[in-house]
Amino acid sequence: MVDSEGDSVKQIAVERVSHVYRPARGREVLALDEVSLEIGVREFVALLGPSGCGKSTLLYLIGGFLPVEKGAIRIEGAPVRGPGPDRGIVFQHFALFPWRTVRANVRYGLEKLGLAREEQERRAQHFIEMVGLKGFEESYPSQLSGGMKQRAALARTLAVDPKMLLMDEPFGALDAQTRSLMQAELFAIWQRTPKTVLFVTHDVQEAVRLAQRVLVMSARPGKIKASVSVELDRADPHIYRSPAFAEKVDEIWNLVRDEAIKAQ
Amino acid sequence: MKYLPLLLLAIVWETVVQLGLISRDLLPSLSDVARAGWTLLREGDLWQNGAASLYRGGLGLLFAIVIGGLLGILMAWWRSVDAFLGPLVEALYPMPKSALIPVTVLWLGFGDGSKILLIFLGCMLPVTLGAYNGARSCEQVLVWSARSLGASRLRVLWDVVLPSALPELANGIRTALALTFVLLVSSELIVARSGFGYLIGFLGEGGIYDAMFAVVLVVAFLGFFADRLYQRLMDRLLAWRD
Amino acid sequence: MARLILPWISILGLAIAWELFARSGAVTPFMLPTLTTVLERMWIDAASGELWQNLGLTLYRALTGFAVAAIAGIGLGFAVVYSRAARWLLDPLISVGFPMPKIAFLPVITLWLGFHDLSKISMVVFDAIFPVVTATIAATLAVERELLWSARNLGASERELLHEVVFPAALPQIMTGLQVSLPIALIVCIVAEMKMGGIGLGGAMITASRFADSPGVFAGIVEIAIAGYVLVRLMALVRRRLLAWHPETAAPATV
Repeated sequence: MVDSEGDSVKQIAVERVSHVYRPARGREVLALDEVSLEIGVREFVALLGPSGCGKSTLLYLIGGFLPVEKGAIRIEGAPVRGPGPDRGIVFQHFALFPWRTVRANVRYGLEKLGLAREEQERRAQHFIEMVGLKGFEESYPSQLSGGMKQRAALARTLAVDPKMLLMDEPFGALDAQTRSLMQAELFAIWQRTPKTVLFVTHDVQEAVRLAQRVLVMSARPGKIKASVSVELDRADPHIYRSPAFAEKVDEIWNLVRDEAIKAQ
Repeated sequence: MKYLPLLLLAIVWETVVQLGLISRDLLPSLSDVARAGWTLLREGDLWQNGAASLYRGGLGLLFAIVIGGLLGILMAWWRSVDAFLGPLVEALYPMPKSALIPVTVLWLGFGDGSKILLIFLGCMLPVTLGAYNGARSCEQVLVWSARSLGASRLRVLWDVVLPSALPELANGIRTALALTFVLLVSSELIVARSGFGYLIGFLGEGGIYDAMFAVVLVVAFLGFFADRLYQRLMDRLLAWRD
Repeated sequence: MARLILPWISILGLAIAWELFARSGAVTPFMLPTLTTVLERMWIDAASGELWQNLGLTLYRALTGFAVAAIAGIGLGFAVVYSRAARWLLDPLISVGFPMPKIAFLPVITLWLGFHDLSKISMVVFDAIFPVVTATIAATLAVERELLWSARNLGASERELLHEVVFPAALPQIMTGLQVSLPIALIVCIVAEMKMGGIGLGGAMITASRFADSPGVFAGIVEIAIAGYVLVRLMALVRRRLLAWHPETAAPATV
């Protein structure tokens, strides 16, 4: 999207957002402190920070799951009003509906869109195959492995063709090998159907591997400490073992490390 | 306060009857009930019957706890006992114990014995299950630690297994406590010549409804308070639970 | 395989032990009639139709009460979770009512509703509704936030959320509450019948005890035990059908 002056209108604009966490028992905690950031169309941005820094909270605010109390969040210029299929979400623990098969899960958003039955089936099948779950359409989530569940969750979110993807540590619950495979797959999918992605993680390597830009958050109360752009030639299969990669990881890890210690 | 709605309900009760919206024959006013209850208390009927009920319930429950608890721990500790009695316990589990009321009467008549037996039989199961599950959940490493510190096999049972089993056993006893009240009132309503349940039935048949309501409320709230008291006690005793 | 047969073996063992013990002379036939006598009696009652009449009536009352308790219980459970007014009013009633020996209210219910089926069914509802309400409340509160958020993210409205996500997610625990409630319904019905007399398994048993009809009493016990067992198995089957997707019933993962 481009306005008359040729600058791209930011797809996600967060303006000085603060958030207070109010637990049922105990004191209030300031989770986010005047956070501001901008994400452009089709950017893949990683939100990196230590545990408890509020990165997931920020994601939930953008997703419209939590109300914005202080500051403003605008999606393509308009303020956020609740959740919706334009901002697809993928959770760490998959959040698949356990009583629906894989196919029925993927079809859920399509049902809500009111598409014709045949169109639902067609689209669902397309995305199930895209994430590599062909043959498992009739399985229930309890019959799938962790990696397969996350693929199903991804297919379900992609099926409604959201403009942007909000991902909350989606590979955090997977073992190291599956995580590595899923990272590669996610990147491949993103290359084929580019969308704006905001990817929350605490893993520096993961962030550098996937994102074009890494936002580093401070420990609680969360603020954006730095924005580091990652320019790697991802077409090169050996890039992940190159010195350039290692240097970038180092650079970012140095920024994170102090915050991680503070978070302890 | 959390129980405010109950207070309001009581006020509504009194008002509705006083205003004549509901016939006094069907629902005596709360003040009538209170007065009748006070009379029963003064004249000793409440105490006498209460003592009978308490005696039966207390004894039956005590037997159930001691024997059931022992049984459960033995079953958990010795495989052979478990293999023998386990399936039996499982088979008897869905059997509703109140159905034994006529049998206990057949055997022991209308007096204390039949009630004590009924409560003992009925309450044994939850206690046994609680003790069993509690003992089984005892971590092996705790037992090994105790042994390596010099405890004999029997000593370990007392020092380690029993305390480990206490939380689940306590839960089983809580169920048994509620069951005691139910079995007690049930059997006394049907086949007794004394006790709370008998008193309720007697007053009901005699048409003395305000006194009947009084005893019903006394019994109902006794059950409630017994449970609350027990919970408080257990929270204190088992404060080491995390 | 052994697990399936084992309970039957112990029941068989129990039956044999019963028969032998009764025949041994250690107790009088009055105290413990032989199993064969009891089974004979059940056969006679079955042939004359008396067994079916009693069983049918008891089941009718108990299951009607259970059905009402189930529907009302689930409804009230949802009300408590979603309506602050309902929660304020019902919370103390539930927590006070739960540990009460509610059977004590039987004479009150009889006073208000008479001596026919209605009072027995009402007593059943009064007792059986509690486990359903508490299970429904716990289950609804435990629905994972991320399931709700995912559904909203995919475009579900508030109403759709309730019956498309909350209800199925809460169903396993609600079913457990129903499984606890059913045996309660049966036994409360029987106790009420014992008190009020007349036709029904409970009434028949108490009549038998009044006539010192020992085989009749024991026949009643066996009949109730079988009825209880069958109902519990049926519920387990219903549960397996409804919750085929649940991890505890699903086949293990292949990858």
